[in-house]
Amino acid sequence: MAIKRPEPELLRNIPLKFVRDRVSGHGRKEVDHQIPLIPFIDFLIVLVIFLLMSFSASGELVAQQPTITMPDAQNTEQIEISPIVAVDERVITLDGTRVADTQTQGQSAQVDRIEPLIQGLEAEKRKWETIHPSEPFAGQVIVQADRNIDFRVVKKVMFSAAAAGYGNVSFAVNQREQ
Amino acid sequence: MAAIDSGGGNSGKKAVNQEIPLIPFIDLLLCCVMFLLATAVWNQLAAVNANQQVPGQASTEDAPPEDEKVKLILQVRNSGYVLGSSAGESIDISKRVVADQKEFDIDELETKLAQWKQAWDKRDDLIVAPEDGVRYEDVIRAMDVAAAAGFANLSMADGAAFL
Repeated sequence: MAIKRPEPELLRNIPLKFVRDRVSGHGRKEVDHQIPLIPFIDFLIVLVIFLLMSFSASGELVAQQPTITMPDAQNTEQIEISPIVAVDERVITLDGTRVADTQTQGQSAQVDRIEPLIQGLEAEKRKWETIHPSEPFAGQVIVQADRNIDFRVVKKVMFSAAAAGYGNVSFAVNQREQ
Repeated sequence: MAAIDSGGGNSGKKAVNQEIPLIPFIDLLLCCVMFLLATAVWNQLAAVNANQQVPGQASTEDAPPEDEKVKLILQVRNSGYVLGSSAGESIDISKRVVADQKEFDIDELETKLAQWKQAWDKRDDLIVAPEDGVRYEDVIRAMDVAAAAGFANLSMADGAAFL
C-alpha cells in the first residue's frame, strides 16, 4: 500500500484566477496552510489526563475560604456532610451565617455558650431528624478554623456544639502528602 | 484533516481510503476538558476527627478492663506538651528554642508517644487537652502526631481541668 503525501485540501477549486494564482504560489510564498491538528489533540489529551488526576466524584464539601488558612495534617479522614462552623479572625459563622465575633469570644476566659450557634445547630439537628427519622443522629460538626486562632475560641465553639447535641468534631485541614 | 490513503481505487474496486474525523474527536476532548475543569478539586481537604469527652459520662456496657480505666492525656500547654495519665505518670516536653523563638518540640513528642504506644499497646484512645492561648495549628499538629503514633481514637477535653 502506497503512502500518499498529504496535500492541501482547502482552496483547490478557486474560480477567480488572481486568487488561484496567489493561493497556488506561482513563484511567491504559498499562503495555503494546514492547521496542525495532531499536536493540538496531543495537548488536549495531556490536559484531560492531568484534570482526571485532580477529579473528585464527591466534590468539595468544604469550600476553602479566603479569610481562613487551615492547618496541614497527614493522618486524616474523609470529610462527611455536616454543618460547618467557620472561625476566622473576625467572625464565627454557621453555614455562612454569622453567629458571633471571634474577638469577643477570645477575650473572655470563661467557657461561654454561643447561643446563636446552639440555636442554629439545634435547628439543623431537627431538620436532619425530620429527613432521617429512622437513622441515629451522628452529631458531627465540621470546624473550619484559621490556623492562628486561639484555641479558646475553638473550645467555645466545641462547647456550644456539644450543648446542641453535636459531640463529634471534625477539624477541617489541608491534607499533606505522606 | 488526517487521512489514510491506500493508493488504490483506480481499478474499479471500491476505494479503501478513509478520513479520520478529527474535528468531532477534538470536540469530545474539549467537552471533557470543560467538564473536568468545572469539577476539579485543587485543594485536598480532609478532617481530623475527635469526640468531646464529657466528664462523668457512664458507660452502659460491661465494665472495661482495668488498664482501660487509666486515662491517657496529652496536654498542649503554652510552655510545651505534657504527656500524663490518670495513674500519675507525667512527662514534660518543653518548647525548644529555634532561631530565637520557642517552638513545640514535635520530634520529642513523636518519640515519647511511640514509647507510650509500646507501653499501652492495647490502647488507641488519647485525651487531648489544650490550654487557653495555644494556637489552633499547634493543637492540630499534636493530634496529627498522636494519630500517627497509633492513637486513632482522640478525644478533646479542657486543658484547665487537668492543671
